[in-house]
Amino acid sequence: MGVVMPLNAETAQARTQRVVNEDSTDIALFVRSSQDDMTGWNRQRIVDALLRETFIDRGTAEKISRDIEVTIQAGKVKTITGPLIREMVNAKLLEMGLEEARRMHTRLGVPLYDVDQLLVQHNKENANVPHGPEATNLTLAEGIKKEYALLHVFTPDVADAHLSGDLHLHDLGFIDRPYCSGQSLEYIKKFGLNLPHALSMAKPAKHAEVLLAHMVKFAASLQSHFAGAIGWDAINLFYAPYLEELSDDGVKQLAQMMIYEFSQQAVARGGQAIFSDVNIYWEVPKHFVDVPAIGPGGVYTGKTYGEYEKQAQRFAWALFEVYKEGDAAGRPFFFPKPLVHITEKFFKTDGHMDFLHHICEVASVKGNTYFVFDRGDTAKISECCRLSFKLEASDIEDAKKPWKMRYSALQNVTINLPRLAFKAQGDDTKLFALLTEKLQLAAKAHGQKKKFIERLMSLGKGGPLSLLAMDLDGEPYLKLHKCSFLIGMVGLNELIRVHMGQELHDSDASIKFGLKVIAHMNIVCNKLAESMGMKFVLEQTPAESTAFRFAKLDLAHFTTDAEKVVQGNREKGEVYYSNSTLFNVGANMSPIARVEKEGLFHPLIEAGSITHIWLGEAQPDKEALASFVINVFKYTQNDQIAFSPEFTACLACGKTSRGLSETCPYCESKDVDGITRITGYFTKISSWNKGKLGELHDRYRNVDRFNQ
Amino acid sequence: MLQPQASGSCDPTACLPPIKGFLETSFIDWPGKLCAILFVGGCNFRCPFCHNHPLVLAPEGMETIAFEEIMTRLAARKNWLAGVCISGGEPTLSPGLTTMIARLKAEGWAIKLDTNGSRPEVLAQLLADNLLDMVAMDVKTVLVQEKYERCTGSPVDLGAIRRSIDLLAQSGISHEFRMTIAPGLHTEEDVVAWTKQFDRSRSRLTLQNFNPKTTLNALFEKEQGFAPEIFSHLSALVA
Repeated sequence: MGVVMPLNAETAQARTQRVVNEDSTDIALFVRSSQDDMTGWNRQRIVDALLRETFIDRGTAEKISRDIEVTIQAGKVKTITGPLIREMVNAKLLEMGLEEARRMHTRLGVPLYDVDQLLVQHNKENANVPHGPEATNLTLAEGIKKEYALLHVFTPDVADAHLSGDLHLHDLGFIDRPYCSGQSLEYIKKFGLNLPHALSMAKPAKHAEVLLAHMVKFAASLQSHFAGAIGWDAINLFYAPYLEELSDDGVKQLAQMMIYEFSQQAVARGGQAIFSDVNIYWEVPKHFVDVPAIGPGGVYTGKTYGEYEKQAQRFAWALFEVYKEGDAAGRPFFFPKPLVHITEKFFKTDGHMDFLHHICEVASVKGNTYFVFDRGDTAKISECCRLSFKLEASDIEDAKKPWKMRYSALQNVTINLPRLAFKAQGDDTKLFALLTEKLQLAAKAHGQKKKFIERLMSLGKGGPLSLLAMDLDGEPYLKLHKCSFLIGMVGLNELIRVHMGQELHDSDASIKFGLKVIAHMNIVCNKLAESMGMKFVLEQTPAESTAFRFAKLDLAHFTTDAEKVVQGNREKGEVYYSNSTLFNVGANMSPIARVEKEGLFHPLIEAGSITHIWLGEAQPDKEALASFVINVFKYTQNDQIAFSPEFTACLACGKTSRGLSETCPYCESKDVDGITRITGYFTKISSWNKGKLGELHDRYRNVDRFNQ
Repeated sequence: MLQPQASGSCDPTACLPPIKGFLETSFIDWPGKLCAILFVGGCNFRCPFCHNHPLVLAPEGMETIAFEEIMTRLAARKNWLAGVCISGGEPTLSPGLTTMIARLKAEGWAIKLDTNGSRPEVLAQLLADNLLDMVAMDVKTVLVQEKYERCTGSPVDLGAIRRSIDLLAQSGISHEFRMTIAPGLHTEEDVVAWTKQFDRSRSRLTLQNFNPKTTLNALFEKEQGFAPEIFSHLSALVA
């Protein structure tokens, strides 16, 4: 990319490069080129670029280059940059009506002012990205890849739909990576850390700590090949064969190391912590009971995983002890997120009530625990803010060789639901037709991303995705044919409000209509899946910034309609749509009603849903929470719940207190940061975007006793 | 003593306490249990730190929720809730309290009562009729007339408070005595003296820290609760 150097940076070396090219007019002009050097003016370079990059003919290219030369001569400038010449050529192409050539010849980059702002200001699109040189690198690179994606990977109709806010193509800045990955520890247990192009290769770990080191490094290398979450299946079970020699203190130490390693990984890509999830089971999941266990050195121990129940439980218990303590300042750990699977077998396993109380205590004290409900024969692996992969028959077959178990979603596309209602103007038929149209467009976008990733993967081990092409078990790490393609939604609640004049929590009729909308999305996804041979599944988009972006765009382009339904504080610009199929976060609903009613939508959303219960300052008893969790399993269809307390971390005295306060209750300093769950993970409130701040303000915390 | 204000506003079908608030799911009001809470309007105390003060000062201005509606909503939550907590205001001032509790009991609900203990005769009757499963009684400070009245903001019959304490201590049912403490009203010595009023082998004791968010006496909004370390220290004294 073109580099604009300060004017006094003209070097002696550059001066000697001043040559008068016979082919061009003798202009005493330096060109700062993209190659970090300075050359004399050469008109021919314009011609070469046009012929190389576009389909225009030589004559036209020559004419353009001469016209540009005249313009530059007239300007009497001494130095000019390559990027500026390129933009001048683009202006010429535009003037001549050569739109396609202009598009092909376009330049991706960032204005000086923006770079300056970026280096100094904090980007809050993702609260998990801190501010620092690595983070600004990430943002700059993402910016260019995003432009590239919109111009070159997606067709103009798809790109326009994204830019106008009809839908949102997530992680465009990570266009050359799949979305997220869930896997088994068995892969590194069996094959060691043997990554393509690595400086050294490690044999399978013989000790638990080494296994942890391998896991952390593997997670970091996966993070640099995926846009989002890196999840681990049944982590406590797969560690179990390494724990037999360890004392309880040793196991606790290992748990502590694991949690600190993942929560302090903010030194990796873009200064961003690895969005990591660990799936935890109290029981040995049915599909692993008879599977031969791999132990130290990557060899079979001669036992099955069914025989490691006690070791696995010891590790699960220790992990939650560490979560309960929190970090050195008593704050909750942000990562790895612990997802505990509550299953039929859970309730049949000894000690489950003690464990349930233990994890409920953590939920109350620190909030970490995610309760994932797998009813009946369902088995799944969960990650990201709520994403889950339901295991199918072939996966259960893979479970016999757990290292083969890995799941990836290639991309996530979210549909702006309220906008459909603005356009439908109360007409059901029109609403569903518009929805179908957007789903088709989302599917088209997925097809284009898939083609692009296929192109990169086809370069194999010599290509940019060599890690994903790695085939230690006979198959590429990224199993493209098994990838899912996520379709999400934002603002079902506001769609209903526009279309029916009431919100989801207002009546059963609005819930019923909401279910119709999501069921329609589900059916269309299935049909598209069949016709395109791709697995489209619905997910509740976390929509950390999308809920804000859609609301802002609709306020700008559908002002009159949007003003009536956008949530939050418009004066402060803290506007948002309700996430996915969530009910109004501020609605005065009891937690029971919320898990029940939001849960009605969950069976329709295969790739994952969650209901949040905002606790505020309250610190409930573990027994009360446990009975609630059991009832959610028994009496609702809810897929996943999390309880979110709020904390104030004082930067002056380093202490953490309960609730969100403007001043530290310990030392009265105003230098405090709030901490609570944003969309599906804990983070500091100072890093939140305005839309989520609006939501935080509105959240119902189960304390308004006189209006329920 | 102030006259109870709730007695005039009876439910027309039966004389039931005026229910001014309902929280369907509480994780924190019944130790270890998930419960619903009913808030009964009217109180004979004027505690400056009260955070339910609309119930105390102007219950007439608040809509009364029909008891039948509450029974219907509760019935739908039978699987979920372990019981119903009756709070206020001061529920024992309402003549219909026994009737209401009896009706809830008949539906199989376990009952927790929150009271300030100023009506031992009501408490005695409810206990005798076996209508209570748990009682939380606010004992505002040590039983010293002047100190107590500073905390209640109104005249108090300490004999009545003492009788309620004794009734609960001898009742054999699960109960707790709790005290909301604020720096302007309570000292460490008060907390220590307070605990000595009870037989800790029979009664559970808890402290609550004053929360300045909304208080009955506006002057009190400027007050702070105890700093967290001090509060934990004081809590340890009663544990």
